[in-house]
Formats: sequence, C-alpha cells, structure tokens
Amino acid sequence: MSGRRTGQVLLMVAGLIAWAVQFTIIYAVTSTLCGRGWADAAFLGFEIVPMTIVSATLVTFSATLLAAVWSFRNHRRKGEQPVSGADSFMNHVATLINGLSLVIILWHGISAFILPACA
Amino acid sequence: MNAPESPRSFGRNEPDYPNPLPRPEGEFEALQKAWKAPSGLSFITAVNNTYVGLWYIGTAFLFFILAGILALIMRAQLALPESNLVGHDLYNQLFTMHGTVMMFLFAVPAVEAASVYLLPNMQAARDLPFPRLSAYAFWAYFVGGLVFFGTIFFGLAPNGGWFMYPPLTGSKYSPAENADWWLLGIGFIEISAIAGAIEIIVGVMKTRAVGMSLDKLPIYSWAMLVFAVMIVIGFPAVILATLLLEMERAFGWPFFIAERGGDPLLWQHLFWFFGHPEVYIIFLPATGMVSMIVPTMAQTPLVGYRLIVLALVATGFLSFGLWVHHMFATGLPKMSLSFFSAASTAVAVPSGIQVFAWIATIASGRMKLTTPSLFIIGFLFIFTLGGLTGVMVAMAPFDWQAHDSYFVVAHLHYVLIGGMVFPLFAAFYYWMPVASKYPLSERLGRWVFGLMFLGVNVTFLPMHITGLIGMPRRVYTYPVGMGWDTLNVVSTIGAFMIAAGVAIFIYDLARKFRFASDDNAGNVWNASTLEWLPNGNYNTRSIPEVVSRDPLWDQPNLSKDVEEGRYYLPGTATGGREALVTSPFDARPQYILQVPGPGWQPVLAAVFTAAFFLLLTVKFVLTSVVCGVIAVGCVIWWLWETDPGPVRPPADIGGGIVVPVYVTGPANHSWWAMIVLMVVAGMVFTCLIFSYLFLWLVNPGAWPPQNVRIPEWTWPSLAAFLYCGSAVLIAAASRQLRGEDRRSPISVPILIGVALLFLCGGSAIDLWAQWGTDLSPSAHAYGAAVYAIMSLQIFFVLTTLIMGAYTIARWLARRLDSVRRTTFDNTMLFWYYTVGQGLVALIVVHCFPRLTGGI
Ligand code: HEM
Repeated sequence: MSGRRTGQVLLMVAGLIAWAVQFTIIYAVTSTLCGRGWADAAFLGFEIVPMTIVSATLVTFSATLLAAVWSFRNHRRKGEQPVSGADSFMNHVATLINGLSLVIILWHGISAFILPACA
Repeated sequence: MNAPESPRSFGRNEPDYPNPLPRPEGEFEALQKAWKAPSGLSFITAVNNTYVGLWYIGTAFLFFILAGILALIMRAQLALPESNLVGHDLYNQLFTMHGTVMMFLFAVPAVEAASVYLLPNMQAARDLPFPRLSAYAFWAYFVGGLVFFGTIFFGLAPNGGWFMYPPLTGSKYSPAENADWWLLGIGFIEISAIAGAIEIIVGVMKTRAVGMSLDKLPIYSWAMLVFAVMIVIGFPAVILATLLLEMERAFGWPFFIAERGGDPLLWQHLFWFFGHPEVYIIFLPATGMVSMIVPTMAQTPLVGYRLIVLALVATGFLSFGLWVHHMFATGLPKMSLSFFSAASTAVAVPSGIQVFAWIATIASGRMKLTTPSLFIIGFLFIFTLGGLTGVMVAMAPFDWQAHDSYFVVAHLHYVLIGGMVFPLFAAFYYWMPVASKYPLSERLGRWVFGLMFLGVNVTFLPMHITGLIGMPRRVYTYPVGMGWDTLNVVSTIGAFMIAAGVAIFIYDLARKFRFASDDNAGNVWNASTLEWLPNGNYNTRSIPEVVSRDPLWDQPNLSKDVEEGRYYLPGTATGGREALVTSPFDARPQYILQVPGPGWQPVLAAVFTAAFFLLLTVKFVLTSVVCGVIAVGCVIWWLWETDPGPVRPPADIGGGIVVPVYVTGPANHSWWAMIVLMVVAGMVFTCLIFSYLFLWLVNPGAWPPQNVRIPEWTWPSLAAFLYCGSAVLIAAASRQLRGEDRRSPISVPILIGVALLFLCGGSAIDLWAQWGTDLSPSAHAYGAAVYAIMSLQIFFVLTTLIMGAYTIARWLARRLDSVRRTTFDNTMLFWYYTVGQGLVALIVVHCFPRLTGGI
C-alpha cells in the first residue's frame, strides 16, 4: 500500500482513532487514580480526573475537527480535478466518519461535568 | 505491467472485450482440470472454497441444532416449578454448553463459513488466497468442536457459565477437568477463527473482480472486512485470558486469586474486551447479508451505501469501548462506568443508520414478500426490540436492577436471534440457488418463518417480565407460588414452536438441497451481484471487469460474456490453480497468484493440532506433545510446497494486460497475511501488558512484593543487545539475499544461524537472570505476571527458531534465492516482531517496578 493510500485510510478513520485515544486516556487515568485512592489529586489547583477528561476531550476533538475539515475539503474539491471512484468515495466516507466522531467524542467528555471523580 | 487506468464499459463491439472469441481449444478443459476436486477418500482433502465453505456451514448448522436441543431440555426442565427432569449439576452444564456452543461453535463459525463460500463468488475471485488455511481452520474446528461437544455425554462438560468467571472456575471451586475443556477447547477454536479472519482480510483486499474499486465493493465484503479486523483485535484477549486461567489451574500461578495478589476482575476485563465486540462480530456479517438481500428483493440499488460503510466502520471501533457495560455491577467508579455507558448508547447510532438505510431501500423499491424478505422483516422487528432493551440495560442504574435476571436472557436472545439467526435463515433461502440445483420451497419457507417468528416472541417476550418480577438466570428450578409458573410454561411452548420451524427447514433441506458445482438453480431472484454469474469449481470462467455496484443489472450480457471467456484470465497461465490479485483500492490486476490445490497436509495438521489440545486437557501430556510435534511437521510439509517462485514469464490475461506470476515484498499476499498475524500477536502481548499493569494497580505497595529482588541491569541490557544484534543480522541476510552486498563472504544460512543464537541467547539470559533472583511464579501475582511475559516471549523465540531453521533448509534445498524469497521475507517480518516484543517486555519487566519504586 503506498504512502498516499495509507494516509487516506488513516484520514478516513482519524476521528475514530482520536476517540479511541480519548477513551483510553480518560479511562486509564480515572481507573489508576481512583484505584489508588488518589481521587482528590490536584495539579495547579485543578482536580486531575476532570482536568484530564476535559483536556483529552479538547485535544482529540480539535484533531478530529481538523481531520473533518480536511476530508470535507478533499471531498468538495472533487469537481475541480478528476479523481478515481475510490478516491472520491474515501473522501466522502472520511467526512462522514470524522463528523460522527466529533459528536461521539463530545458525548464521552460530558461526564466530567456531571459526575464526581471516584464515587 | 500494463493495467487499465479506469474500468471501461464494455459494449458489444468485439475489440472492446479483453479476450476475443472463439477461445482456443483445450483452454476451458485445462481450467476445469486444474480446479477439479479430488474424488474417493481424498475428497476430504478438497480445498475449493465452495466445498470447504459448505462443509463449514453444515457443521456450524449442526452445532446450532445440538445447542438448540440443549435449550429444549432446559426449557422442558423449567416448564414447571420444582421439576426433577434434570438436576442442578447437569443444568449448569446445559446452560454453559448451550451458550458456549451457540456463541463459539455456531455463531462465529457460521458467519465465517458463509464468507468462505460467498466472498470469492461475490468478488469473482477463483478462490480465497489461502485455501489450505481455510481447510485447516475448518478441520480443526470440526474435530475440536465435536470432541468438545461430546463431553456433555460424560458429565465432563464445562459448568461455569459461558463466560467462565473465576474464582468459580479456578481450581479451588472447580477442581475437575470440566473447566479445562472449556479453556483449552475454546482457546483452540479461537485460533481457527483467527486463521479464517486473516484469510478474509487478504481475500477482500486483494482478490476482486477487475475494476471493483472500494466504492464498488459489495457491502457484504465491507462487513466481512470489518468483522475480520475485529476478530484480529478482539479474539487475542480471550486467548490470553484462557491461557492465564489455564496456567493458574495447572501451575498455580495466581492471576485471579485475590489472596495472592491476583484479581478475578482481570478475567472479566479480558473476557469482555473480546466478549462484547463478539456480539458485533456476529451481527455485522449478518447485516452484510441483509444489505445484499434487501436490494434484490426490492429490485432497486441499496440506499445509503456510504452511510452503511460509515456505520460498519464506526460500529467496529465503538464496539471496543463497551466491554465494561457487562461489569456495571462490579463496583467500579461511576465515572468509569459513564464512559462505557456513553459508548453503549453511541453504538446504537450506526446500527440505527443501517436500519434506516434498509427501510429506505425497501420504500424506494417494490419489496417481494418472499421467504428471505420475511426473515428480513422478522430480523428488523426482533433485532430492534433487542436493541431497545439494550439501550435500557446500557443505563447503569437500570442494569443494577435487571442484572443476572431473565430480563437479560430475553435481551440477549432478541439481539442474537434477531440479529444473527434470522438474517442467516434469510441467507439460507436467498443463496440456496447458488449452492444447490434446486431452491428451497417458498411454501414451506413461510411455515418455517411463521413458526420461528412466533416462537421467538412467545419464548422470549414473557422472559422480560419473568426477569423484572425477579427470576434470576441460571437457576435449574424455582418454587411454586413465585408468580413465574405461567410465564415459564409459555416460554417453553415458544421454544418448541421454534424447534418445529427448524425441523421443517431441515425436512425441506433434505428434499431440495443437491450440491451443485456447475448446474445450480441460477439467478432466480434477478440479483445484481457476481455470485449469481454462471460458475463451476473454478468459480467464473473469466474474471469480469465491473463498472458499478450492481454489475448484473448495469452490464447487460455480462453473464454470457463471462461464461464464454471474453473477460480476463479465461484459462490457466501456469497450468495449475490461480487467482488474479488486484490492487486493494482500485482493483487493477497486479499479479497471478498460484493457488495451492488439495492435499492431506491441512487435514492432518488440523487433526493433530486438535489432538494436542484435547489430550492436554485430559493430562496425557506426553502423547499430546507427540501430536503437537506431528502437527508442526504437517505444517512444515504443507508450507514446503508453497512459495513456488516465478514458474513462467509474465502472462497475458487479456486486454493487453501482462502480469507476473510471482511477486515478493509488500505487494505479495502472504506479506499482508504476515502483517495481520503480527497484529494478532501484538494484541495478545498488549493484553498481557494490560494484565501486568492491572495487577500492579490492585497491589499497592507490593510491586514487587517484599523480599523480591529485581535482576541487575547488566542482564536485561545484555539480552536487549543480543535481540538487537539478531535483528541486524537478519537485515544483513536480507541484503545478502537481494544480492546487494556481494562482498560479504558470509552466506545467508550462516547469518540466520548466528541470528538465531543471538535471539535464543537473549531470551535465555533473561530467564536465567529472573531465575537467579528466586522469584516464584506461584507465590504472588507479580511473579506470575513476570513469568507470563517471559513465557510468551519464549514461545515467540521458539517459533522464530523453527521458522529460521525452515528458512535455512529451503536455502539448502535451493528453494530460496534472490527472486524466490517470500519464505525469507515472512521469517524476517516475524523476526522483527519477536525482537520488538522482546525489547518492550524487557522494558516493562525491568524498568516499570524500578520507576514506580514499589508504589
Ligand atoms: C433458538 C432458540 C433458543 C432457545 C430456546 C434458547 C434458550 C436458552 C435458555 C433456556 C438459556 C438458559 C437460561 C438460564 O438458565 O440462565 C439460554 C442461555 C443462553 N443462550 Fe440461548 N436459546 C436459544 C438460542 C440461542 C442462540 C441462537 C444463541 C446465540 C447465538 C444463544 C445464546 C445463549 C447464551 C449466550 C446464553 C447464556 C448462557 C449462560 O448463562 O452461560 N441462545 N438460552
């Protein structure tokens, strides 16, 4: 598989990978801190658990937004230059997947504002 | 190579076809001869996807019947309160076997089997890329599965529930061999599922009709691709879990024993990391089938193709974020639960997208109410109900109420039967005319559907209430007066209605099914996809070029033209079996793959692999080891005949396209398979590291425990140096083989030999250093985790040793050179993986406890 194709596949699932990263980080940090009884651990005055969730959500959301915009522009550009069926398909599906991922990532970040860290 | 830039639309002009008529004399006969299946006793050595696929489907269906009979016995027992038909111990075995057999021996194999049969036909490939691997996977499953099922007749069947939670299944509470049957039997059958998944990934990506670019891939292929990737990611977790529990039971390494630093919850994490995706692993292929059947029945193209691809991929990912929803009642922090609750509700979105796409397709066409359509409508109804109760139990507070009650039994059957059994029956009716001379009866089909549909609802709808008013699951009986009596009788009546429906289906099957290789019933539904082309053992006479997702609707005369041999590769270029390998994105012809034919090797290898695991269960260690060695011998014998090299110059397949008959490197199909295998290995290892970290988490202040020494830095450093050295030597051997470094006087086998010494040396030093600290694997989970990591590494080093020795043997036998080097490349990839894994293992085992300083 050429580098261009690998890039295309990665762009297609970028949002879902970002979600997986967000999920792994927030779950690992919550489990470790709560498991060890460090629920109240703070950094620069902020509680670590909610802070991690918020920052992981922000970072992965922004990365996904970037991927979504990029794939959307690729998709829109298809009229200007001839692209193969596979290319146009990948660009479109990438836009759809990254768009859906934005919602999923936000959905996972909400808990930081609702629940106590380690109850 | 001269491949078409974009697919052309073939009109009726003779010069537009890749190959002219009339075809040369003897061309078709040679093709037929190459693909002829063996006869007599050797028939069982056939590897054609149509034969293996059908045996596979037949066996999976057999297990459905067997597990169904167990369900009927359970329902008979539960029909009346305080019944004595079966005792509690047998009941435990019955529900464990029913659940296990349905999930592991019916559901996953059935969908995998269907794809062995359907995928090559749908993609107009002559066969799957590794037909012997499919045969191996099938025979291993067949022998292993039947023996496993046989344990129920001897009271030896597993009895700890289909998810086998320790500590109940640990040696303290389950000292007999029942649990070992599950651990070794199922662990081994999962290996067969993984073999099938590797085959499917490479098959979907690399063997397609010309021009069948990703945007024209049948949805079924997409579904199978996602399915196979999920198996590759998810199944290693359960393989590791079974290994750890078996090591605990056999050697006392306490991974799950709390008193010695273990934690039973570790099992639940590993099991459900596999177990929840498993549900989607079963469901996605079924949706793939539905997406093929609905457009045909409505006689209109599928609505929302791209959205369905989105849904498949998204479900594949999200399903790995759900596993803890099976553990809502284990006391984990609510915040953690909320992440899984969020994923559990989010996953309903892609499923919903698919359901709406099907409804839109039905609405935009004119649905014919055939038996497959009825089963699809049944599926939509039952699965959607199961999905709704699924969203209910995804809410942790509701789940705490319904957990382990009959509400959950109702939910899981609605999802599984609706989501998989109904689509499978639709598929049986729909594709029967491809596999058989006659289609199944439509009249009887309506009876089958009616009985099954009513039966499922009569059985499982009342169970929601039985559960909500308090009846727990997995109880062999219940007292009079709990208010559960009527509901249970109704459920039992429903179960027998389902059985009646299935019995009529079997009757019809016996009447109508006659295996067809080249005289099937034909395209009775006016379907649009390639499996409906006229076919034989070689699949299609020539390999078509497609210009749309519905080629049979959009390319008139395609069937006739393909059958006459006007398209690509209408004969055999090398005189043997071949498949046309196409590029993964645009499906342009790349090369001709020389496909291995029938042989005893995969059958024998499978039988002896099964014997190895099964004999180990009953502690016939020596005999088991002998069988293991024979199995490895058979695999080597099988591989020896592969990697044939460029037996002839590049061949003209038609349309002016000339392709080689052998390629090496990243374009090669076995390179792809190797990469997938490495992902599997990487997942096993990742799960092991997760287990190590998990055990650290539950052992504050005891990592390592008091009085345990960590080996001096010198030893792991030396081991790392040797590992790296062996990788450098292999890289040098690769260069040497390529002929780039001719100045070097050291030949390839010597480089491989020294590299082997380095690799084994690295592993031995690490083991020796740990041994020297008197670390015991059975005293505490820390030691168990360290020795588990080392054992896995040793297993990989030993496998590399066998592969290295095999590569040297091929070099000596002159079957390996600068061109014919696929064997070397495979060994090299595996080698790099083993070195990489070894280095990470050293870092974790030696650095992590030092870094955390015992906290
Ligand atoms: C076709 C009719 C079926 C009937 C009448 C039926 C009936 C039953 C019954 C009575 C139980 C035991 C409940 C208990 O005591 O807790 C059960 C459990 C189960 N069934 Fe089915 N079943 C059927 C089909 C299926 C299918 C198709 C699957 C999967 C593909 C399946 C998977 C399971 C599982 C996983 C369990 C849980 C086993 C355990 O608790 O360990 N069943 N079923």
